[in-house]
This record gives sequence, structure tokens and C-alpha cells, in this order.
Amino acid sequence: MAFVLTHIVPSDPAVANLGDRASSDPVAVRLYRQHFGLDKPLPVQYLVYLGNLLHGDLGESEQSRRAVSTDLAEYIPATAELAITSMVLSCLLGITLGVIAALQRNRLTDQVLRVVSLGGMSTPQFWLALVALYVFFYLLSWVPGSGRLDAAVLPPPHLTGFFTIDSLAAGQYDVFVNSVQHLILPACVLAAFNMGLFTRFTRSAVLEVLENDYVRTARGKGLSELTVVFRHVLRAASPPILTVVGLAFGNVMTGTVLVENIFAWPGIGQYSYRSAIALDLPAIVGVMLFVAIVYILVNMVVDILYGVIDPRVRLE
Amino acid sequence: MAATRSANPVAKAWRRIPGAWRQPLTIVGFVLVATWLLVALLAPWIAPYDPLAQSAALFQPPSAAHLLGTDELGRDVFTRLLWGARISIPLAMMLVVLAFTIGGTLGGLAGYLGGWIDELVMRGADFVFAVPTILLAMAVVAALGPGLFHAVLAVVLVSWPGHARVVRGLVRSTMQSEYVAVGRLLGSPAYRALAVDVLPNVAGPVIVLAALEMGNAILLLSALSFLGLGARPPAAEWGSMVSTGAEHFEAWWIGVFPGFAIVSIVLAFNFLGDSLRDAFDPKAIIKARGA
Repeated sequence: MAFVLTHIVPSDPAVANLGDRASSDPVAVRLYRQHFGLDKPLPVQYLVYLGNLLHGDLGESEQSRRAVSTDLAEYIPATAELAITSMVLSCLLGITLGVIAALQRNRLTDQVLRVVSLGGMSTPQFWLALVALYVFFYLLSWVPGSGRLDAAVLPPPHLTGFFTIDSLAAGQYDVFVNSVQHLILPACVLAAFNMGLFTRFTRSAVLEVLENDYVRTARGKGLSELTVVFRHVLRAASPPILTVVGLAFGNVMTGTVLVENIFAWPGIGQYSYRSAIALDLPAIVGVMLFVAIVYILVNMVVDILYGVIDPRVRLE
Repeated sequence: MAATRSANPVAKAWRRIPGAWRQPLTIVGFVLVATWLLVALLAPWIAPYDPLAQSAALFQPPSAAHLLGTDELGRDVFTRLLWGARISIPLAMMLVVLAFTIGGTLGGLAGYLGGWIDELVMRGADFVFAVPTILLAMAVVAALGPGLFHAVLAVVLVSWPGHARVVRGLVRSTMQSEYVAVGRLLGSPAYRALAVDVLPNVAGPVIVLAALEMGNAILLLSALSFLGLGARPPAAEWGSMVSTGAEHFEAWWIGVFPGFAIVSIVLAFNFLGDSLRDAFDPKAIIKARGA
């Protein structure tokens, strides 16, 4: 479907990629089309694409002149490092704040947390990223500016593509510190929206569980509030929270497009933006496919986790 | 607890609405939305300058003459901010209405008819959900060419499934309820069941969804403009104003204030939606919407 969608558009990628001068030359346009198979009818193009896809070939990027899979392999680790860090941050913060809000229901803390979480969901990420850069980089110089590492720092030997892990594995602690410094600000900016989302959902999920008799029983037995929350409430409340966490991976990808562009983070967010501008169809379709697969995988893992948490799901 | 007392949660929620409107956050949201609507209506009369008029006073920090300073072409940031409301708010409204018309119709049909139509609509919705909104929107805008109208089309294309899911879920659960079955037993035709039983039950959650979607629509539109795929210069659109500000860090007021405008209007819609959602059955909307 992604394939059809990106092909039924009126713009001509040949014109977009060759530039105005070259596209006025019919020979150049014809050669370009032949090179990328654009001269064949659409159904043929689709079959060729599907056939190539079967052995992992996503086609050639019309912009970088490299295989899309090569491009993706280069950019995915950077995005994954950023996205996972931000997901961990937003889960930790969001779930904690959500539990607090539910326990303090309708008191001042709850109202303040409601404003904070809705604020996180209402702030444009591109603006938050700029304000964060302005304050922490331009004014305070607490963090280095853009990119994954300082220009003078060489990336660690390639292992996972995650600079934090690779540098630790190679024992390069200065590189590790530098990469964390670069990572922390974009990850926090990216986490803001989901933090708000998770707080809201955890709150309503926990509130529902708190009404149950077994929670009253647990409290009646004299268990400490912490035990009640962690052993009884959170476990019962986790399926809906997990669902939202799974769905929120889409939000992270949306966020990376904006955040990576502002922080010059060399990941697929920036890559997809460049490809969209250049109408680089194989690249766009490749990114969409990859992201959709990740999304489906994440939500499959969520489904499996349901079974781990809730024995009733396993029996069915 | 209280949930067992009334058979119809939506009818109960309707009765609770006046209470929800008395919540402080609802009032704040309502006042903010009303203010911005007024600003959008009255911008030509209340703005101190012409939004496109350039002057020699470049990069002036906020002062009495220029409340929020001037930008790189000497235009008054405050004026442009007020005029920005005339772009973002009407477009977002149009967008939500369009997305609801398309999504609601498809979702309603899917829920009412079931079968392969249901399958087709929901698989289409799943596809849109699986691709991050901005990727799809970016692809569409890039393909059609940048411009506000294309950006609106792109956002409609990515936001209809939310409405479709909600309406489908509500229609289905209402159709399964006993009073619709009773109506059918009594021999009332299908369209009567739709008009009398289904529609009033769908209305409440749809209002909540519309409020939340207004916020999302404004965020996504401004993000596209920020990337240069929506409003074109010299239009006074908030997202593209932030983007201009990004090029002039030393003149922070150019980008920071339009951002506050976006935050305040989106937050207002979220306040409204969130507190109204508490008044209705929160689970119905959350489940149907998916996120």
C-alpha cells in the first residue's frame, strides 16, 4: 500500500532529482528513468519491487545513489539509540507520575500533574527542541550542540551502532561521556510528549484498579502502600499501560523527524525528511516499511507480554 | 460502584456535563479557546501593525512600541502572532470537520454494515496507524508540492482513522444494546434506530474527540510548516515563524512567542477534551481511539 500511495502522486521524481537544467534535457530524463526502472508501467514496477523485497533489496535511493538498505543500516542505530533512550525516560517518568496522580486523586498534586502531562502533550516538539537548545546550549553551555559526538571525537569501533554501548565496550570512557552529553537533550525533548501520554493513561488505569476489592483487602492485611502499589495495583493496571507504550512508538518516530532535524542527528528521521523533500520514492517507501515493521513487532511483543502478566490471556 | 446504577453510561455522562464545565481546567480551556477565536476574528482591528509590512527596525527586542519585538525583516512579531490565529484555527477546524466527515462516515458504515466493508475500512485505518503521522504527511505534501492546502489534505489523510475507530466502536456497541434490539422487535426501521438510538449516543464522545483532535491538528500543521512543507513565507503562520526564529538564536523572541501561542491553544483544547472525557465514559473513547 505504501508503494501505491507514493506512486499515484503527480510530481515527477526525475524533475525533483535532476534539477531544473537537467530535466529540460529529454535525454537525461530518459536515462534517469531507465536507470531506476521508472519507464516501465506501474504494475511491472510493483512486481519488480516485491520480488526484490523478498531477498531484502529495498531498491536504490535516487538521492544518495546507494541501496536503501545500506542507507537504513547506517541511520537506524542512531535513531534507535535516541528513540529507546527517550522511551525509557518517558516510561519511567510517566508511569511514576501517573501512579502518584492516581493515589492523590483530585488533590492539588493530581491537578498539577494533569497540567504538566497535558502540557507535555501540547508542546510542539520542534519548538521545545529549539528552546532547549537555546537555554542549555546557547545560554548555559551545559550540553554540546548538535550531532552525536563533538566534531573532534572519533566514533567508537562499530559494534551495535549505539555510540554509548560501543564506546563502553571499547573502553573509551571519554567518548562515552561525550555521546551521553549529546544524547541527553534530544532524548528528553523527545520524551516530553509520551511522558504526558503515559501519565494520563497510567492514572486512569491505576484509578480503575484501586476500586477493586482485592486492593482493599491488601491494604486491610496491613501491607505497606508501596507493596500494594507494586505487587497488586501496577500489575493489574499494566495491560492498558503496555498498549499505550506500544502505540506510542509511532509518536517517537514522528518526534524523531523534527528533533533529528534540529539536533542534526544523523538518523532515519532526518533521512526521511531529506528523502521526502527530494521525492526519493525508494527511500521513503523503505523508511515507511521499516517503521511499520518495527511498529508491528513492538505491538506483537506487547501482546506476548499480556500473557506474561495476565494468566487468563495465556489460557485462551 | 456508581457504574452499576445506570444502564446507559453516556446518558449519565450528559447529566454530568454541567459539573464537568465547572472544573477549573475546563474553564481555563474554554476561556483560552474563546480568546483565541476572538483574536482570530478581530486580528485586523486589534493588531497594531500590518503583519507583512517590513520596516527598518530589524531584530528589535520586545519594547513598548513592539510588544514582542520585530523579526529579521522588521515585521512586528506581536501582529504576526495575532494574525497567525487566523491561519491555524480555521484550518484546524476545517481539518477536523473534514476528517470527521470522512472518518465518521466510513466508521459508521463499517460499524453498521459489518462484513467486508468493515474489514476494508479497518485495515485501511490500521495501515495509517502503522505509519507515523508525520512520515505519511511528509510524503503526501512532498508529492503534491508544499503549501498550506496540501498540508491540510495530508493531515486529513492521517487523521480520519481516529474518528473512524471511535464512531465504529460506538455504533457497534449501541447496536448490540438491548434497547436497539427492542426497537427492532417492535418493528421500527433501521434508519430510526440510527437516528434515535445511535446518533445521540455517539454525539458526546465525538465532541470530546473533536476537542482533542483540534489540538493534534494544530500541532501537526505547525510541524509541517516548520519543516517548510506547509505555509509559505511571508505568511504569518506560527510553525514557520518558529522556523524563522531557529535561524536567529540571538533574537530569541522571533521563535519563542509563536511557540507559546501554539502551546496555549493546543493546551486549551486538551484541557477541554480531557475534562469532558472524564465526564463521559473515559474507557469508551480511550479504547476506540487506540491512543
